[in-house]
Amino acid sequence: MTDDTLTSGPPGAAAAGSHGADDGHAAVLPLAAFDDPHMQPYAKNPRRAEAIIGLILLVGLAGFCAYGGLFWVGGQPQWEGVFFGVGLFAFGFGMSAWGKYLLPQGPFEEQRHVLASTEPEVEAMAAAIEERGKMVFRRRGFLGTILGAGAGVMGIVLAFPLLRSLGPQPKKSLAVTNWTKGVAVVDLDGRQIHQADLEVGGALTVFPQGFEGSAVDQTMLIRPAPADQDIVTKPGRETWGPKGYLAYSKLCTHAGCPVGLYEGTLKRLLCPCHQSLFEVLTGANPVFGPAPRPLPQLPLMIDSRGFLHAQGPYSEPVGPGFWERA
Amino acid sequence: MQRKLRGRYLLPGMVVVGVAIAGMLTSGESASQAATPPAGAQALHSATSAKAGPITYNAPPSSGIAAGQILFEQNCASCHGSDASGGERAPNLQGLGPATVDFWVSTGRMPLASANAQPARKPPRFNRAQTLQIVAFVNSLAPTGADYPSGIPSVNTSAADIATGNSLFTLNCAGCHTITGAGDALSNGFFAPSLHKAQARQVVEAIRTGPSLMPHFGPGNLSDQQVADIVAYVTGPIQHPSDHGGLGFGGIGPVAEGFIGLLFGVGGLMLVAFWLGDRK
Amino acid sequence: MTTTTSPTPTGGARRGRAGKPDPVVAGVRWLDERLGVAKGGRVLLDKIFPDHWSFLLGEIALYSFVILIATGVFLSLYFIPSAQEFVYHGVYAPLRGSRVSSAFASTVDLSFKVRSGLVIRQMHHWAADVFVGSIAVHMCRIFFTGAFRKPRELNWMIGITLLILALTNGFIGYSLPDDLVSGTGLRIMFSIVLSIPVVGTYLATFLFGGNFPGDGTIIPRLFILHVLVVPLVILGLLAAHLGLLVRQKHTQFPGHGRTEKNVVGTPMYPTFIAKTTGFLFMVAGVLWALGGLAQINPIWQFGQYEPYKISYAVQPDWYMGWLDGALRIMPPWSFHAFGHTIPFVVTFPAVLFPGLCFNLFYVWPSLEARLTGDHAEHHLLDRPRDRPRRTAIGVGALAFFFTLFAASSTDVLANYFQISLNEVLWFFRFAVFVIPVIAGFFAYYLCREMSGVPGIGRRKRAVVITRSPQGEYESVPTEPRPGDSPEELDPSPVPVRIELDDPEPVGAGIPGVRRIPRRR
Repeated sequence: MTDDTLTSGPPGAAAAGSHGADDGHAAVLPLAAFDDPHMQPYAKNPRRAEAIIGLILLVGLAGFCAYGGLFWVGGQPQWEGVFFGVGLFAFGFGMSAWGKYLLPQGPFEEQRHVLASTEPEVEAMAAAIEERGKMVFRRRGFLGTILGAGAGVMGIVLAFPLLRSLGPQPKKSLAVTNWTKGVAVVDLDGRQIHQADLEVGGALTVFPQGFEGSAVDQTMLIRPAPADQDIVTKPGRETWGPKGYLAYSKLCTHAGCPVGLYEGTLKRLLCPCHQSLFEVLTGANPVFGPAPRPLPQLPLMIDSRGFLHAQGPYSEPVGPGFWERA
Repeated sequence: MQRKLRGRYLLPGMVVVGVAIAGMLTSGESASQAATPPAGAQALHSATSAKAGPITYNAPPSSGIAAGQILFEQNCASCHGSDASGGERAPNLQGLGPATVDFWVSTGRMPLASANAQPARKPPRFNRAQTLQIVAFVNSLAPTGADYPSGIPSVNTSAADIATGNSLFTLNCAGCHTITGAGDALSNGFFAPSLHKAQARQVVEAIRTGPSLMPHFGPGNLSDQQVADIVAYVTGPIQHPSDHGGLGFGGIGPVAEGFIGLLFGVGGLMLVAFWLGDRK
Repeated sequence: MTTTTSPTPTGGARRGRAGKPDPVVAGVRWLDERLGVAKGGRVLLDKIFPDHWSFLLGEIALYSFVILIATGVFLSLYFIPSAQEFVYHGVYAPLRGSRVSSAFASTVDLSFKVRSGLVIRQMHHWAADVFVGSIAVHMCRIFFTGAFRKPRELNWMIGITLLILALTNGFIGYSLPDDLVSGTGLRIMFSIVLSIPVVGTYLATFLFGGNFPGDGTIIPRLFILHVLVVPLVILGLLAAHLGLLVRQKHTQFPGHGRTEKNVVGTPMYPTFIAKTTGFLFMVAGVLWALGGLAQINPIWQFGQYEPYKISYAVQPDWYMGWLDGALRIMPPWSFHAFGHTIPFVVTFPAVLFPGLCFNLFYVWPSLEARLTGDHAEHHLLDRPRDRPRRTAIGVGALAFFFTLFAASSTDVLANYFQISLNEVLWFFRFAVFVIPVIAGFFAYYLCREMSGVPGIGRRKRAVVITRSPQGEYESVPTEPRPGDSPEELDPSPVPVRIELDDPEPVGAGIPGVRRIPRRR
């Protein structure tokens, strides 16, 4: 390798073996001599650069060894991250620095060849496709039609196992829950809820008995009012909110997240996903955020022993909207 | 054309990286073993203390009522009135029970600093003894309502099941306080606070009294054992999370992670590319 | 392309020191006799790569992908892709006794029990975030410099497809561990598919095996999509992307010695290979360090997903944030007629809007060509300031997406800055229209100003102004810094042979003169 000082001539001067970029002709290239400025390394002081790069590569090596040792004594994520991460980075840094500072700096060039073919070649290609195609189909159009029809039907029919075999049709599964007339209201552990269980301002996730944990049945039971008040949220729902209790579907009508956030004193349900806000006392009407419809309300009743039951199913499909939702 | 190795960037760069790594390591898993929060108030045994169980509710000592009245007059009566019956500016405290008052005063939320939408936790103005005196005084004004605990709770988590606490916390608490207990914004300027500074006693008090917008969970909703399980989970994995993977970024999830990934990951590598390539 | 026939320097077959045939020659000959690689292979070695730093951004993406594959293979040896539930008795105590799925439990065990398991798992997740981020940055570079113009429109479209696949695979990937946060994302995805008119309900129940959460088949299905189907497509498209790059050659900025008919830079071997391999290790190093030092997706803190559980402050991974933000700020419009519902509040932001965006991306090259009337071939890049309209449109689009990303964190922002959540949301509903316009105008006028300034972008020489005691001012330019010399070399073709030994000594060939061998 030559020593440091630059021995370049005037710009563009060709040392033995380099040609300017301008002529564009194919050139016979003899050797590039080592004092060609294109062959000089980028580093002003290559010896010092070598030393530094050597040190950096050593750091890399040390990092690898440290990680290897740490692994065998049990490992620890943060130190593993430091050792092997520093090792990898230093190793790469050394390699890149070697390439950037110690190898010939150029600049080198290559010529672009014209991508496009000549016009006659393009026409010949197009003609080949067209004419040979015509040869195939000349006076055999009906064969082509049958072939095409077969391919089309095959394509359609292949979609059947690809799509339909995947799973069941939606049918009523999106519209129907397991809340039926008289079913007991239970919590996740199957415990029946008694009217004395919730304080005013209380909230609990409930399910129909026998379907604890079921996604589509999840319901928020809340008690916004004391036991001497029956809550009427909308006309026609006079008996739905006995003794201060209300129940709404926990599936947000926006995108289906569980509306598990009850703002007790404000009497609102907030959906944590996209912050739809539902007014509990007026039938879970959405007052803020993207939800387009109120949460369906579950009609409640209290039996003679004081346990909560559903009067019947939800009056509309629960959860977000879909095409078949009437 | 030859260039010097850009040594002038190398040393400062290494210093920055070294400090950053040192800082990150000392705030990783080892440093998250913060001092355990002080145990809840020691049970003040009096004739009215409840029977032994996961949570015992103890009435505040009646010896503190007189001193409590003085403190209340000086610090609280201007809004709540001398008889704590409230008014335009502040609610009626009579009948809310000792646990409610203890929660608000011992978390420093009261006395109120500014009339924001929701009072926030701050260093309490009163020490424990004084707090109990205030509680005793307010408690003496009216019998506790049926919806509120009759005493200041003290929790025994020795029989608590953390896995049950995990499950109950997820179902009942995570919707507002987030699954890592970091807290988040509710509607209209209200918020669910972070749980990382809550003491065991205060967790029970909050659950049983439903402060601010929080729902009110009575014994019919969450039994004392279930509350003790939740307390064990909050004072355990919530306040001392297993940040086995490194820096936790406050436990707020993908927002922070994306920021770090883009800033340090993509940004850092862009800096490397800037070094590696040409500027022309 | 340069073709050369060069005379061998010392004549005859090259021989090593002891006169044995050079093994490299033998190796090349062996391959050449079977594959014919000698001539074409040299073309490959001579391939020129322009050196500008912004051309390395695509490499960040490429190497992140390599790391994704490598770490992904490791993870797939431990992950159990099943939603089957059982009672957990593993290493993470707070979960013991609760019901978890095999997918969740195997991920938790990998994080705690397997040595370096958590680092590699987190490295995989960080690599995914960086992969998408670097694709976005790379795409911006291509856009703002006009590299998508003819003949590279195809490569642009392949790139957009790669972006879509990266987004998809990332979403699927973090949904695999079946934890509370990603499960919530799957619920939202189900509702999004549901919102498609006519076929939505069918597609959703087909995919999940019934109404949400389905029969558990979603986890193994997503798994095979994530590790096999999508990576294969990405690999194929990546090969095409790089192949087109090799075929059409790289673009370059205008500069000394650079024309539309050449490529100036460093040759593939050895320089570029050294630099790019080093870059691969540096990307790996940064990602590994992140994997060990910066926790990401700590699913053990979130717990097993159940459809009735929810947490607040749940956002998707950053690259899905623009869709989440769109979902949050959309007004609650839903259309209902003739017994059918179109929940426009979901269909628009999550189905129509991204479709519109990606279609716009796809057609942008032809759109711009039509608008500017420029159908010529371009191999020289634009400086963004020289194309103020395109830059303004790009900046406006970026500002639009940034605003949507920020809108995804409305609750976190409201909490952190102690502002009302309602106000934050209304702010974003307007900001998403106002901010891009402002940003676009700002960018436009900035570009116009910049392209008018002479010498812009070039380092200025300092001028020292001195004042004599009499009050006269004098300005003295300082010495130019080393490397500021305006002299630049002309680019030269890659030399075929390099003289590594000393040159001919004086006196060689003169009869009677014997060369004293130099002691080595």
